[in-house]
Amino acid sequence: MNQFVPPEIDWAALSPVLIVLGLAVVGVLVEAFVPMRARRATQVVLAVVGVGAALVAVAWRWVVVQDEGPTAVVAGALREDAPALLAQAILLVCAFVGLLVIADRSSGEDAFAPAAAAIPGSAYEAEARKAGLAQTEVFPLTMFAVGGMLVFPAAADLLTLFIALEVLSLPLYLLAGLARRRRLLSQEASLKYFLLGAFSSAFFLMGIALLYGYSGSVRFDELATAVPATSGLDGMLLAGVLLVIVGLLFKVGAVPFHSWVPDVYQGAPTPITGFMAACTKIAAFAALLRFVYVVVPGLQWDLTVALWVIAILTMIVGTVLAVVQTDMKRMLAYSSVAHAGFLLLGVIALVPSGISSVLFYLLAYGLATVGAFGLLTLVRERDADGNVTGEALHLSQWAGLGRRHPVLAVCFTLFLISFAGIPLTGGFIGKFLVFGAAIEGGAWPLVVIAVLASAAAAFFYVRVIVLMFFTEPAGTDADPGTTVVRTEGLTAVAVVVCAIGTVLLGVLPGPILDLTASATKFML
Amino acid sequence: MPTQFADLPWLTILIVVPTVVAALIWLVKPLRRAARPIGLATSVLVLIGVALMAGAFETADAAEVQFTQTVDWISAIGASYAVGVDGMGLTLVALAALLVPVVLIAGWNEVTLPSGIAADRAEDSLAYRRAGFVSLVLVLESLMIAIFAAQDLFLFYVIFEAMLIPVYFLIGVYGGPNRRGAALKFLLYSLAGGLVMLAGVIAVYFQTDGGPGTYLLANLGDIASDNPTLQMWLFLSFFIAFAVKAPMFPVHTWLPDAAAQATPGTSTLLVGVLDKVGTFGMIAICLPLFPGAAATAAPVIIVLAIISIIYGGLVAIGQNDLMRMIAFSSVSHFGFIVMGVFVGTQTAMVGAMLYMVAHGVTIAALFLISGFLTQRGGSQDMRTYSGMQRVTRVLAGTWLFAGLASLALPGLSGFVPEYLVLIGSFEAHWAYGAFAVIGVVLSALYILLAYQRVFTGPVPEAGAPVELTGEALDVPDRAGLKDLTGREKWAIVPLALVVLFLGLYPAPVLELLSGVADQFAAILGSAS
Amino acid sequence: MTNPYIPLLIMGGLALLLGVGGLAASAVIGPKRYNKIKVDAYECGIQPSPHSIGAGRFPIKYYIVAMTFIIFDIEVVFLYPWAVSFAELAGFGLIAMFGFLFLITVPFVYEWRRGGLDWD
Repeated sequence: MNQFVPPEIDWAALSPVLIVLGLAVVGVLVEAFVPMRARRATQVVLAVVGVGAALVAVAWRWVVVQDEGPTAVVAGALREDAPALLAQAILLVCAFVGLLVIADRSSGEDAFAPAAAAIPGSAYEAEARKAGLAQTEVFPLTMFAVGGMLVFPAAADLLTLFIALEVLSLPLYLLAGLARRRRLLSQEASLKYFLLGAFSSAFFLMGIALLYGYSGSVRFDELATAVPATSGLDGMLLAGVLLVIVGLLFKVGAVPFHSWVPDVYQGAPTPITGFMAACTKIAAFAALLRFVYVVVPGLQWDLTVALWVIAILTMIVGTVLAVVQTDMKRMLAYSSVAHAGFLLLGVIALVPSGISSVLFYLLAYGLATVGAFGLLTLVRERDADGNVTGEALHLSQWAGLGRRHPVLAVCFTLFLISFAGIPLTGGFIGKFLVFGAAIEGGAWPLVVIAVLASAAAAFFYVRVIVLMFFTEPAGTDADPGTTVVRTEGLTAVAVVVCAIGTVLLGVLPGPILDLTASATKFML
Repeated sequence: MPTQFADLPWLTILIVVPTVVAALIWLVKPLRRAARPIGLATSVLVLIGVALMAGAFETADAAEVQFTQTVDWISAIGASYAVGVDGMGLTLVALAALLVPVVLIAGWNEVTLPSGIAADRAEDSLAYRRAGFVSLVLVLESLMIAIFAAQDLFLFYVIFEAMLIPVYFLIGVYGGPNRRGAALKFLLYSLAGGLVMLAGVIAVYFQTDGGPGTYLLANLGDIASDNPTLQMWLFLSFFIAFAVKAPMFPVHTWLPDAAAQATPGTSTLLVGVLDKVGTFGMIAICLPLFPGAAATAAPVIIVLAIISIIYGGLVAIGQNDLMRMIAFSSVSHFGFIVMGVFVGTQTAMVGAMLYMVAHGVTIAALFLISGFLTQRGGSQDMRTYSGMQRVTRVLAGTWLFAGLASLALPGLSGFVPEYLVLIGSFEAHWAYGAFAVIGVVLSALYILLAYQRVFTGPVPEAGAPVELTGEALDVPDRAGLKDLTGREKWAIVPLALVVLFLGLYPAPVLELLSGVADQFAAILGSAS
Repeated sequence: MTNPYIPLLIMGGLALLLGVGGLAASAVIGPKRYNKIKVDAYECGIQPSPHSIGAGRFPIKYYIVAMTFIIFDIEVVFLYPWAVSFAELAGFGLIAMFGFLFLITVPFVYEWRRGGLDWD
């Protein structure tokens, strides 16, 4: 019998994850012990400080790794290398601005149900609302999700990856159901997300099982060495790899695993949608990159067909369906599907610059996404009495917004043209790099399709700009119908940070490019 | 000139100043009221700056890129901020700098309030809208100068795409009743062309060694020369984008809509300067980077250019909308320019370059004067006008002057370049010249017919309905229309002077251009 | 050599056949006798009580008990093997188990403080 050897644990390398998860646990205890009045403030401070501290820790680890080279952590379950740390940093930046939007209480109310367990529309719910109750569990839940996401890009064995997947998903399932308004839609979204998420977890687990059966290991490095040893083709290996990739593609919302995206994005509270759209995609793509670049190269020729088909479908379906949407959130949801397709180009390229280009694209996309959804939370409807109610999400309600609220409209335009990939925004440089990597990897037919899809995608982004600036507003000056609420300031900060980031990434991307350029190789 | 003077980063200053002023006007509330004078002063300053720069330009070395400034921008992808102008760049920068103040003066009161604004906010809203217009024009001026000065392919592409945004807003916010459709059509056409070019820009990178400075035009030359098929694809990816911009048959259909819906000032900048980016790109990028492919494709392109010349002229004759007529006449003129670029003789090339400047000035005069008329008359339909030369004498006279310059009357700006392009084409092949001459006849027809319809004949009586096909319009009071005001005259004077100057004494400009033309014509000549 | 995807396709086809075939077979040849109990929703334990809009909170006591059970169930599942090989795992195991116990206690404390343990 083998002697048990306790694993060496490099606590410093784990510090970003430990800070976030530790403060999430503290957040649960805050829920238990701190009186209701002080709870919200405490939670906001904890979350913001936690994410900020984790970001500092990641920066510190970056310096260490630059000096001492990448290492395997916790008996090889995690890898601390440049791509992982960079993905974590990008994730934390987006989570930070996302948290600001989540914490904001524009028009005096946050975006979440006052009592999530109440039946929608019941007297109890109205009472809870009147009493000013708040489901401050949102913050520890978000922190748990961030914790899982932090592990995701660093995970170097399939079981760790699976656990991280669940840790990041479960809080999101719950958060998706907490919208203050349109409760039923929100609960439906939550249920759908949970069921389809569980479904994809099953795929993922099946894939792990097959790969374990094939190689006798769940670790990426051992899988990678087992793959070239195969003579001919092994159905078990191929099926296992495909199933694991399917599980990850579900999280990034690639076609045909995208069906949850529009419904969940629409139903979830808008700040959560922004957080989820940005951060889940970052984490999942970082993990997908590691899996594909470390394990799959030996299988390149067999998997290319499947990945190409998925990338093409994702770009086309996302773009085409976004064109016909009339709801802002659904439009952005389909646009995020299309972006997943563009990002897949960098994954398929299988060249070193693919890693760095995808990471840059994720940062540009993440900032624009959080900013755009942050702005969605501010544009509201009014009822007959002039009270501010839910978000004005129908496209027509945005007509003429540019005239009444030029700054907001200009920021939104900025995010849209970044999505569209027009120069002087981060989205352009991102597209440039990803397409470049794909051409380098020989996938030029994909680039041609991507270019055509980008041109078509510009149509629906531009349509919103047309609505905001060129269309006469529906209401009159006295009763505009759509109104923009004042924020507590947090959303404004988040949006401004995202806008500045988007412009800087487009105009002076040099420093960030230097960072991503050093993240071109995964540690085996 | 003292050397320090020439060493200043002229181009960067000229690029930055208008943008900064534009941002100030738009963001700082107190400045909004004075947006128009501030904008005009800025554009005049820029014009003076360009004039000083032209003074310091070494004409003897006009083929060399001067006033260069190169800074590493995004070293990871080999992009630099590199600006500089040769003789051609300088003349086009000067054209842009001349037209902006003219447009601002001509469009002083062009921006009005839309309906539905409460009276108490009207004044603020109007100031805001005007400030927006001036800001967009200034931003556009920066970008126009930058694109003609760009010496880096990546920078060129970035500006090429970024330019769409101010133009899009200029058409979409300040245009006529169908402005939204026109703006969208413009944007989608240009964006599609631009994205195709993006694929080309990326692909060019992989044909080089990479590293900082990869995209400098000076370091790029004859891309993929050992692989003609690849070079042809790359050439096409750039050429299509430029052809959309130019606009050439068959991708010209966005222009008439945009020109008819935009304000006359916007149309002036759009057709007068921006579309020149297309032909400028064909010369400065397509020829040196893909000489072999350009030479191979030249016959096809020339055929398309001849179709543009004849088709544009014929369709212009059939137009009832004054602005659309001018737009189609431009399609015809751009045919001449493209032909001059690709026939491969030095004479035609220098003619094409001069044509760009001359066309920019005459088309500006035509658009602006027509704009003065249509704003007075409240309609762009030529059928609702008649006998205007008795009512608005100066307006009719200046329009005729601009029209004659456009149809290449000797002594006016259009003559020399058209003559040079035709001579150069005959040198290359008699058939090219023979077909192109048809364009000259057509241009006389559409200009003079339009003049006849609008300015001669009896003045219609107020209230009398005009028979239009299918619809009858009540003609407003045509006899009471005012002639050009002092401000409007001042806007036209500089244009008229340049038209005369280019017609009577083009030597200084030709001197600037001939060296550059030699260089580019030689590229095409040696490749074919 | 045959295409390696073919077995995969066959497997997918068989799975589809099994699923659809089973449903179809029971729909075609199965006896159909409906009564109240048969068409009722099946739920373990309590009778599902439909609630109308405006009915306040719905009772989730059983669910809470079930979840509390799961917390301790999992705890025991981990404690047994740990206890068996306690000597071998030594200090590392002890510390890890204390960490685990602490983390298990946190949600329990949350539940207790927020009234999850009060029956009414």
